[in-house]
Amino acid sequence: MLSEIQFDLSNVSGFSITVAVVGYIIVFAALVMLFFIYSSIPKLININVRQKLKRQGKCEDCGDLHIEGDVNAAISMALYLYLDEAHDEESDVITIKRISKQYTPWSSKIYSTNTYFRTLRR
Amino acid sequence: MKKLLTVIGIISILGLLSFAFPKTFEITGTGTEKEITAQDGNVSGSNQADEMTQTDAGKGISKFFRYSGFANATPGHLVMLLVGLVFIFLAIRFEYEPLLLIPIGVGILIGNIPFMLESGLKLGIYEEGSVMNYLYFGVTAGIYPPLIFLGIGAMTDFSSLISNPRLMLLGAAAQVGIFITFIGALILGFYPAEAGAIGIIGGADGPTAIFLSSKLANGINILPDGTTVRNLIGPIAIAAYSYMALVPVIQPPIMRLLTNKKERLIKMKPPRAVTKLEKILFPIIGLLLTAFISPSSLPLLGMLFFGNLLKESGVTKRLADTARNSMIDIVTILLGLTVGASTQADVFLTEQSMLIFVLGALSFMVATAGGLIFAKVMNLFLRGENKINPLIGAAGVSAVPDSARVVQTMGLKEDPNNHLLMHAMAPNVSGVIGSAVAAGILLSFLL
Repeated sequence: MLSEIQFDLSNVSGFSITVAVVGYIIVFAALVMLFFIYSSIPKLININVRQKLKRQGKCEDCGDLHIEGDVNAAISMALYLYLDEAHDEESDVITIKRISKQYTPWSSKIYSTNTYFRTLRR
Repeated sequence: MKKLLTVIGIISILGLLSFAFPKTFEITGTGTEKEITAQDGNVSGSNQADEMTQTDAGKGISKFFRYSGFANATPGHLVMLLVGLVFIFLAIRFEYEPLLLIPIGVGILIGNIPFMLESGLKLGIYEEGSVMNYLYFGVTAGIYPPLIFLGIGAMTDFSSLISNPRLMLLGAAAQVGIFITFIGALILGFYPAEAGAIGIIGGADGPTAIFLSSKLANGINILPDGTTVRNLIGPIAIAAYSYMALVPVIQPPIMRLLTNKKERLIKMKPPRAVTKLEKILFPIIGLLLTAFISPSSLPLLGMLFFGNLLKESGVTKRLADTARNSMIDIVTILLGLTVGASTQADVFLTEQSMLIFVLGALSFMVATAGGLIFAKVMNLFLRGENKINPLIGAAGVSAVPDSARVVQTMGLKEDPNNHLLMHAMAPNVSGVIGSAVAAGILLSFLL
């Protein structure tokens, strides 16, 4: 079966080569355009951020505003640990308040006696 | 052990019978109830008399046997059943894309159970009115691939691509495999429409390959010279998914061949944090730009970016969850099963299928090499920490996320502290976009 395979270069017409070459160029061009657009979006977004920071006086000439993912993760972890620690440093004030109503069935003596034992004694 | 030997013995006896009996009988007539006559035509009078005295029970058993798989089995069926079993074995034993190979493997078994084709039982996937034919409609009409893309969009995080957009070019470079295979298929005598469908295997994207082959090589379209294109959906889909599953086998040798140790050790700058606004803008801009350039790819890219917007908008969590879980699972089951079943031996085991497999493998290799070489070329213009590890170029083929995983494994082998997965995901997802754009372009040129 394999011996019957024929390689015929005449099957490749000018149209086919055009399809291949133009097709590849279009694919490349589409992704190059996306590359340029996505490269410029962060710059556009940062213009607004820079202006805000300058107005607030937080930086004169704000350099690279990008934060790497691992830096973000480190900040998040530090915040988490701080807040977790902060929870342990509470005022120690017990917030249970005495209520004005004195009687409650929970503290009633009558309910604390066990009738079952009495029955047994008989 | 005894039980096993008994079962094997029975199966082999029935198998021998199946090879012996079909040759003895020939089916004639046009009605649903076929008349069976002796093939050689030299039936003696005494034999005819014997047939007349055959009991009804005997006739019933004989008819049952003729309808059974044993009587209708051909070597082609057995080969395909073996292929199906190999797929299932690969999926379970080596975990090569099990979510795809199990449905496809079972589909191959279902599609290649031998039965009497002429009986009109409406069982085969190519028989109108059969259950499998209804399910297969989703493939031939190109319904399943866009739904898969919706799910992929809803589960893909494009952050790594947005944080380093230059890696998008690697996804574009790897698409060279599609167009070189297109030329190769033409040289081997395929029609341009068929060659386009075969070429897309180089995109290493199963849904895209099915989508394009269902439009270009569907066995329905009429070519300008009056001939009908062949139905190549089955072989193309099986080739695409097989090579996707075999990414861990095919890519590493090419990666080692085209890179040196120093290049494989390059550590890349960690990706920056991406804002929510950028993530929301990505699918909207991507959809508008790619759809304007190649409207034919709209069913795929429209759904991909729609799914991604569902995920990133943050206000459609329920829809995104459905798209990336239940829906994609349902469609994967139907797609895998029907694609597997479409490999009916009589349609699949042809010379064209073998050529498609060879071309598909070459296409995959060329695509991988294209990405790697382009990464090396990019490094000539990049300095210092901006240099990229050329291994991630191999992830430009859009076998998501397998090729990125292969890059990560290769990187860790060279340096256990060099994690390339996040970087490799960028060319990987841009490869998905690139192959869908390429499919749209081929569709608009060749349909």
